[in-house]
Amino acid sequence: METAYESAKKNKQAAQKEVAEPVKKYRIKSLRKREELSGFLFISPWLIGFVALTLGPLLFSLYVSFTNYNITSKMDFVGTQNYQNMFFNDGLFWTSLWNTLYFVAFSVPLTTAGAILLAVLLNQKIPGIKVFRTIYYLPAVLSGVAVYLLWMQLLSPSTGLVNTALSWFGVRGPAWLFDPEWTKPALIVMKMWSVGGGMLLYLASLQGVSKAMYEAADIDGASAFRKFFHITLPMITPVIFFDIVTSLIGGFQIFQEAYVMTENGDGGPVNSLLFYNLHMWNKAFEVFDMGYASAMAWFLFVIVLVLTVINLKFGKRWVHYGGGDEK
Amino acid sequence: MKRVTVLFISVLIMLGMLAGCSGSSGGPQEKSSGDSSDQKGKVTLNFWTFWGSETRRPVIEKMINDFNKSQDDIYVKHTFLPFGDIWTKNLAAISAGNPPDVIINDINSVQHRAKNNQSTNLSKYIKDDSFKDNFYPRLWDTVLYKDQPYAVPFNTDTRLLFYNKKAFKEAGLDPNKPPKTWDELEAYAKKLDKKSGDRYERIGFYPLWGSFGAPSWLMNADNGQGFLSKDDKVQINTPEKLEGLKWLKSWNDRIGQENVNAFKAEFGSEQSNPFIAGKVGMWVDVATFYTQIRDFGKDMDFGVAPMPAKTEGAKHWSDGGGFVAEVPKGAKHPKESFEFIKYLTGEKAQSYWAAKNFDNVANKKASEDALSKLSGNDEMVYKQAVDNLQVTTMNPVPADAPDYQNKINPLIDAVLLGKETPEKALKKAQSEVEKSINK
Repeated sequence: METAYESAKKNKQAAQKEVAEPVKKYRIKSLRKREELSGFLFISPWLIGFVALTLGPLLFSLYVSFTNYNITSKMDFVGTQNYQNMFFNDGLFWTSLWNTLYFVAFSVPLTTAGAILLAVLLNQKIPGIKVFRTIYYLPAVLSGVAVYLLWMQLLSPSTGLVNTALSWFGVRGPAWLFDPEWTKPALIVMKMWSVGGGMLLYLASLQGVSKAMYEAADIDGASAFRKFFHITLPMITPVIFFDIVTSLIGGFQIFQEAYVMTENGDGGPVNSLLFYNLHMWNKAFEVFDMGYASAMAWFLFVIVLVLTVINLKFGKRWVHYGGGDEK
Repeated sequence: MKRVTVLFISVLIMLGMLAGCSGSSGGPQEKSSGDSSDQKGKVTLNFWTFWGSETRRPVIEKMINDFNKSQDDIYVKHTFLPFGDIWTKNLAAISAGNPPDVIINDINSVQHRAKNNQSTNLSKYIKDDSFKDNFYPRLWDTVLYKDQPYAVPFNTDTRLLFYNKKAFKEAGLDPNKPPKTWDELEAYAKKLDKKSGDRYERIGFYPLWGSFGAPSWLMNADNGQGFLSKDDKVQINTPEKLEGLKWLKSWNDRIGQENVNAFKAEFGSEQSNPFIAGKVGMWVDVATFYTQIRDFGKDMDFGVAPMPAKTEGAKHWSDGGGFVAEVPKGAKHPKESFEFIKYLTGEKAQSYWAAKNFDNVANKKASEDALSKLSGNDEMVYKQAVDNLQVTTMNPVPADAPDYQNKINPLIDAVLLGKETPEKALKKAQSEVEKSINK
């Protein structure tokens, strides 16, 4: 209900309008400008940080990749020399690329499937499920060097827990980190251990799947199997998609594992754990060939970019963005 | 990945900024030694080392204090940085134009740093032509780039054969006759092996444990010749090295790769050295390994000998590394810095260092002088280490291809794992390294 005061105010405003219009417009504009300015001022710590510490170095490294920069003595433009050396003169480049692709090709699908499987299992309503959830999530809390050292013990050929457990079933375990055929599988197994992070995402999205759909399917007489593939999976595809994209990018960044778990951080027996980033690190910080290392960095950026674009493109075909229950 | 690079570069830049801001107050984690009131009117030198351990820190700080007391013009401030990042930090400081005045750096890569403008040519400050005669010639050679000195050798090390005398007696070997040749080494090793079933309780010897790697053995086989000659000629695929590699492989074949791996995985952690624990009968390591035996070996009865030679009459070639004192490029007081380096590498300071650490020092007279201060096991090990310098080679990395070993090591690994023949591996290594050096 309109009060007398309000209607009076309205009239006054209407009367003022014609006169005040130009001034007011100007004021609004300057106000907006001022707001804009203080907005930028508020985010300026981030902006300065971004330009000085991210964008600047990023563009710098792009330029460096076309030079023979070595930090102290030279920085001459050498055209595409670094890229040519990479493709035609450095056998280790291809070894490291192959190792990385191998790792990504196996670890991404396996950890994704593992996380989904685990989430489905932990989505049951049985007593004590919270304890199980905690137990399976725990490895994701631990991280870094301590975990790698732990796994080096677990994977020890003769007394490690993994091979001891295998021997109970009469299986003679491989030498894992000492056998070039088994080093990458060993790392992939290790990664499987910490699927808890992904599991948590899937668990959350599983619980968001509407019960009405399962009820409808029950009425239609669908089997559990069918329900899983025709309701559960499609409904969680956005999370699967997110998980695949991020773990693919993360997979290409693998570095620490090999650096810590191989002798002298040199990439293991017969270069079997010489990953792309490790090779780049060696070039940059062992021999200070920054130009070459930057070229490698940008090439990997291109690979990851292309894969992500492909992902986004094909994602549209299988990712189902459903609405809420009402839809 | 790209983020990783960005991160590294950002860190470098930040370090540079930090170094820039800190100005004359020195680098990170600084720890000054001595009384700071002495500093007035003196040139302050920042001295970076990685000697922060309980055993080494007091020794180097006493040396610095002695120097400071004797000086009217120079005051040295010691900054300890962990071994893992001292050289990366040094590089960042150099590029930021604010490096330390003196730093302890790796002896085998002096030329690489000199070529890349990371260190100062010292020839201007060395007025005395006989200065170089203070040092072992092999060590002095490593600090020359285009015949100019870019550092002064501080200390070095050499590999010795340690052997367990108790195990020798048990196996019916004379504890006063360590093996002299490769054949003897192998024969002794077989006698020292102790097995229960098909598992080893003790392995007599395995050449690639300890600190004498495959490249070192191949050098020992090839009459002291490393993979590169003095003028950077590639000499990997030689008949002697081929024999050496086959010999190394024969150890894997005899003991079994699985046993080697299993044993090695057990002693991944350093607190239980397998030689000290009696699990390996003979062990190659640097002389300072003795301090571990002394501290953790519970009166272990051990002997020490030169490296076995390939054949009778050949030399007992060993190899060594070490450290130098150098002035980073762009340091503000090179003249004073060299004064301090002269003291550090002089007879008095070096003799003190040697007697405290059983470390081989670069100064010849000091090296011999320290011997007179020692007795018992201390003397036995130290004397062997000093004598051993006669047959110790250095392997400076070539300035143009500092990572050439990355191309060789995987091929040697492949041979030892039976995935490649020794002939093919050496041939391939030869051509790959030639390619990278003549690039």
